[in-house]
Amino acid sequence: MNAPMQQTVVDHIDRAAEDVVSLALRSASGPLAPWEPGAHIDLALPNWLTRQYSLCGDPADRGSYRVAIRNERLSRGGSEYIHRFLRQGRTLGVSLPRNHFRLEPAPAYLFLAGGIGITPLLPMLRAAAASGVPADLVYAGQSVATMPFADELRSSYGDRVRIVATRRQGRPDLAALASALPPGARVYCCGPPAMLAEAEAAFPAGRLHTERFHPAPKSFAPNEEFEVECARSGQTLRVPADESLLDVLTHAGRPVGSGCREGVCGSCEIAVLDGEPEHRDDIGAPQGRMYPCVSRALGPRLVVDL
Amino acid sequence: MTHASTRPRRVSPAEVRSRVGEPDVKKRDKTLDHIGVYARRFIAHAPFLTMATADAEGRADCSPRGDYPGFAKVLDDRTLALPDRPGNKIADSFRNLAENDGIGLLFFIPGVRETLRVNGRAYPTDEPDVLARMQTEAKRPVLALVVEVDEVYFHCGRALVRSRLWDPGSQALADEMPSAGEMAAAQFAPGADPEAFDRRLEDAYRKLY
Repeated sequence: MNAPMQQTVVDHIDRAAEDVVSLALRSASGPLAPWEPGAHIDLALPNWLTRQYSLCGDPADRGSYRVAIRNERLSRGGSEYIHRFLRQGRTLGVSLPRNHFRLEPAPAYLFLAGGIGITPLLPMLRAAAASGVPADLVYAGQSVATMPFADELRSSYGDRVRIVATRRQGRPDLAALASALPPGARVYCCGPPAMLAEAEAAFPAGRLHTERFHPAPKSFAPNEEFEVECARSGQTLRVPADESLLDVLTHAGRPVGSGCREGVCGSCEIAVLDGEPEHRDDIGAPQGRMYPCVSRALGPRLVVDL
Repeated sequence: MTHASTRPRRVSPAEVRSRVGEPDVKKRDKTLDHIGVYARRFIAHAPFLTMATADAEGRADCSPRGDYPGFAKVLDDRTLALPDRPGNKIADSFRNLAENDGIGLLFFIPGVRETLRVNGRAYPTDEPDVLARMQTEAKRPVLALVVEVDEVYFHCGRALVRSRLWDPGSQALADEMPSAGEMAAAQFAPGADPEAFDRRLEDAYRKLY
């Protein structure tokens, strides 16, 4: 189940803004797997941690991937490692790109970025502009110095890009943006939880697409114990209330590749053959699929394709 | 058992110094009072360390700590934090530190012959910002140990060279040891099934956080 990895070399590390670096990851051999705007990859770091980052380069460039990483104040070891210790020339394993944030066809787009949330939207804006579809970007951050690619965006897209330095100007008025939204336009939003919550309140759900770096605050009924049957091996396992399905599968010797363990990255996706999952992720599992790092079962039993 | 009459003779501290000779490099020359840039890189790549503490009477204890490389978090250049991951719940180190806050850490990086020594004083914390940085596999430790650093220095690699510690061939030594289950059954539960012990242990080893 572990996703195949591609080998890349850290070609260069550039400062993209205050506390943000961008990495250019060059293929170690042959072309890299193709991707579409909105996709992300898992980066396997030298300190054994795996982290997810949105691809923010050019999908037409099959020789390298670009990602941008903010140094989190409470880093759990991923962004801190990249900022302090990662060196040019290092070989890094990269997963195949995954996309839970696809750009659907629309007559017009509004992109809403908060801080490092600009990364998946950057290639979307480029793709929309290239195909001649009207697209606007509202890009908010504490100050321009903390906002990666702000200059590049302004010079490439001029007044289609609005940079909002919130410390000086306050947060963008999403309700006003919603009332001015062209008919049929789709809204793509990626940013901190407060911005996502405001976007969810301001825009109709059917037209809003979001991507989260951290899980949305949610509450669920208390965990219940359930059973899981691994169809391929015939093994049946008990999932106690205080353990995740992912952990139970892993402890039973059915390891599932995993990344965030918070229901945002999608790397642990498995197929469900019978029973009804209780989806607790922020991705939106396709029919017949689930993310066992957070999701559980609505009934007493699940059958999974493992 | 050793009897007093057969115990090896004791050498006085002065005699020890005269036999060992003067140190090659004065220890103070290679000791920093803070975590320098190379020590920080070492800690960021070390998945394992040993931790020595002692109680108020000086009764000493040394225990292993391990996790992903960089599990010991550098909070600033004089402060470290170590997660308290689930273990045997004996908490000898915490008990010792409550009486005597002195601590000695020795960091190892597989493949590197030199080790890093960090000495200081330690206390337990439940500071949310510290625990948040230690979250692994969606689990946060309940406690962490804050180490206020007094001395930091690199220890030369001779001991690891002599011990062939990182030589893959050295792992053949493990074949000469009975399994943990065999030893536990023989020592603490004569007649018990060693394989059942080993299976329980393997289960426990799969649940690390």
